[in-house]
Amino acid sequence: QTILCLPRSFEYSQKNAVLVPAAALGVGGMMVFWLRSRHKIKTIEMGDGWWGSGERPLKGKEDESIRPFKIETSDKEIEDLHRRLEQARYTPPLEGAAFHYGFNSNYLRKVVAYWRNQFDWRKQVEVLNKYPHFRTTIEGIDIHFIHVKPSYVPHGRAVQPLLMVHGWPGSFYEFYKIIPLLTEPAGHGLNEGDVVFEVICPSIPGYGFSEAPHQKGFDTIATARIFHKLMNRLGFKQYYVQGGDWGSRITTNMAQMLPQSVKGLHVNFVFINKQGLRRMISVMLGAYVPWLVGLIREDVRRTYPFMQKNIYDLLRESGYLHIQATKPDTAGCGLNDSPVGLAAYILEKFSTWTDKSFLHQDDGGLESKYSLDELLTNVMIYWVTSSIVSSMRFYKENFSKVPDLAVHDRVGVYVPTGIAAFPQEIVHTPRVWAKQNFKNIITYTYMPRGGHFAAFEEPKLLAQDIMHFVRKVEQL
Amino acid sequence: SCSSLAGIMLLEVFLVLGAVIIYFLFSKKKEETLPFKEGWWGKGEKPDTEEDTTIRPFKVETTEEELSDLFRRLDQARFTEPLENSCFHYGTNLVYLRKVVSYWKNQFNWKKQVEVLNKYPQFKTKIQGIDIHFVHVKPPRLPEGQSAKPLLMVHGWPGSFYEFYKIIPLLTDPASHGLSDEHVFEVICPSIPGYGFSEAPHKKDFNSVSAASVFYELMLRLGFNEFYAQGGDWGWLICTNLAQIAPNHMKGLHLNLASVTNMGFTHLLSILLGRYLPGLFGFQDEDVRRMFPFLKKGLYRILLESGYAHIQATKPDTVGCGLNDSPVGLAAYILEKFSTWTDLEFHNLEDGGLERKFNLDDLLTNIMIYWVSGCIVSSMRFYKENLQKGIGKQKHERLTVQVPTGIASFPNELVHTPQAWAQKKYTNIVSFHFMPRGGHFAALEEPELLAEDILQFVGKVEKEQLWRKK
Repeated sequence: QTILCLPRSFEYSQKNAVLVPAAALGVGGMMVFWLRSRHKIKTIEMGDGWWGSGERPLKGKEDESIRPFKIETSDKEIEDLHRRLEQARYTPPLEGAAFHYGFNSNYLRKVVAYWRNQFDWRKQVEVLNKYPHFRTTIEGIDIHFIHVKPSYVPHGRAVQPLLMVHGWPGSFYEFYKIIPLLTEPAGHGLNEGDVVFEVICPSIPGYGFSEAPHQKGFDTIATARIFHKLMNRLGFKQYYVQGGDWGSRITTNMAQMLPQSVKGLHVNFVFINKQGLRRMISVMLGAYVPWLVGLIREDVRRTYPFMQKNIYDLLRESGYLHIQATKPDTAGCGLNDSPVGLAAYILEKFSTWTDKSFLHQDDGGLESKYSLDELLTNVMIYWVTSSIVSSMRFYKENFSKVPDLAVHDRVGVYVPTGIAAFPQEIVHTPRVWAKQNFKNIITYTYMPRGGHFAAFEEPKLLAQDIMHFVRKVEQL
Repeated sequence: SCSSLAGIMLLEVFLVLGAVIIYFLFSKKKEETLPFKEGWWGKGEKPDTEEDTTIRPFKVETTEEELSDLFRRLDQARFTEPLENSCFHYGTNLVYLRKVVSYWKNQFNWKKQVEVLNKYPQFKTKIQGIDIHFVHVKPPRLPEGQSAKPLLMVHGWPGSFYEFYKIIPLLTDPASHGLSDEHVFEVICPSIPGYGFSEAPHKKDFNSVSAASVFYELMLRLGFNEFYAQGGDWGWLICTNLAQIAPNHMKGLHLNLASVTNMGFTHLLSILLGRYLPGLFGFQDEDVRRMFPFLKKGLYRILLESGYAHIQATKPDTVGCGLNDSPVGLAAYILEKFSTWTDLEFHNLEDGGLERKFNLDDLLTNIMIYWVSGCIVSSMRFYKENLQKGIGKQKHERLTVQVPTGIASFPNELVHTPQAWAQKKYTNIVSFHFMPRGGHFAALEEPELLAEDILQFVGKVEKEQLWRKK
């Protein structure tokens, strides 16, 4: 209206003719900014899903009971395993190959010999059952989880609920060493102020003892929603979430979906955002198929002098991701039929992703950080549940939309976030890159040692960082 | 003064032109050949004794133990249910796989197939420290005054020498199969070291140039001074390398796959603009039809279908381990390629369209070759040895091929290479044909079409004695 008045007021001074439109622009701009900032905190839509077999039943409410669960085994299962281990066919490694061609079969023979003769699955099942397990049906499938409460809570301390989500090729079992540090810190030499947790570790649907989805399209968003429903069913309105690998993306999605329920998000791995991914793809392509992105390669080479080497590493380590994101049923078929093949495939990751230099060792450095019992227990979880194929499908469901990671990356993460950056992690995400997505980083710690399987390998370091983060959030 | 200036300018122009012409003339003579790659691939140290160069007859054999072990594994196979309505989009459909396994257990007769394999004479001979297996089929009869032309045919992954069993009779005995007998061949089909009944290299770095060198020695040992070579998949690369190593011995090179790996700015430009200005880039209508839209038919297709190459080029021992222990896993892995690489549309079929173009006996015989020889891991290592440095970066990828070349371009090959691109590498393309149907496994799927194309190509080369002109 002010502007429309102008032609009628031609007798006004020139000063007004400048000030008035400037003021209009200023007011207009402020209005726009205010309108936009009101909608700044976008969330991911929760939606809904059905993953059971066949059609979703129209009538009747879903059974929401939480049933106690115990892992069991049988002589038959163990004998079948032993028979397969005994009949394993190996291919001798090339001379001097160490772990450069993948899992060294000479060392694999030793692992299998231990597996057949010393590994005691019945004993490990008892170890697994030492924490309380449960199952409940959500969106048509059975969700498995463990729920560990502190046995003793000092007077006046609040117990924080903490959901911890595993990744691939891990399982809920990865958290077995860190759980006591979080539920009973004092008893383990961790005097971290007044932070005590009750821990819930679910199995991602399609992994371990959680039922696999029967329908296509089960991605991290569906998982995030199901885990929210789980926490809700357990009676929690607000909780902390922690994750690495897929767990990192699932918990991040949870924070984007229901920020009001997530008190704090702690991750030990950061998924690359869309911009970084596009940049990375072109750089990766440039290293290997230079003619396609020849134009971009020079910039990259000048800007990131060390990236060439890092990209080579990433390409070398991402073959599994490529095949699982495109042909999971093919890739997993043999692994579900050959425990030795399954062990080679999974343990290769526990070697290389713990320390890249383990590639040069004939035994992949596995036993320098883990015990064979622990490693094989994790492998057995995939074996006895026959979940390797469904665990791989998760890659296809999540990466089919790679060129445009629309949802996750346009929605920022506004809940208080803590990032633990481990030195031997596959990909390092600097704080500046993380800030593009995580708008509210409370702590960002450069951890002194450790790799991808942080909870498994360095439980104390990780527990300390989680507590440090939670204490800060509680003080806010 | 004007005319003298013009005269000087004209002289300068002629001098420059002359220099350019001379440069090109001389640079043509400086064609680089690929050096023969020496090697020793046996176990441990190379012994001081001279290598045994005898050629020993070989027969495929099987035992009751081998069969009962296989059946036990098939019986104990653990399957996973596919997702609802997933067809072949997630890989081999595991419900269809059960049917294949049931056929394998109950109807497939390995002993009979072994006899089929043994119908052609097979041999083994030690070259560069490892035993090389090959099939050698001579013509049953020769027309008056003709001699058999030696033809080396090289398979790929996940194929084997067995892929050629249908096309061999069309080449050694064309008259009995309704084809012209102007040219008759004796066919040599070796197994690439690390595949089938050829011993696997024990040392690192056995790549396509190594294989080409080994096969070159093989042909010389068999007494052939001049020969033709044919190949697809890895066979394409090995025969190309062979043409670069020994151009004076190779009369002609025939390919049913002709990838171009060393690409430059012009290729990029032709990808961007080729759809709109095909003539400018030498694209024919059929090229445009097969290549564009490029994102869909080129880049995305490669990304979707190359997971296996990525993991095999980086962690072959890991991915092959389970496949060497589970015949069902091995079958799933290999059959997926026979489905998708024969026709991409087969993705949408519950049974992957496998039995439309092949029969289960042939498919399982090929898989059995990988199973009984335990060669899946070594076959995968070939990817790492060839691809670990990237694509388009090795020396031989920058060298051209002067040997007369014939290319049979099948429509369902995963990625189409137009003649305009191929001729930058294969400088002497004598024939380039768009085949009416067929995919990657041309010899097994469309043996008549392929044989006809080979025959017409050889006809051209022989008629114009093209191989003498080099």
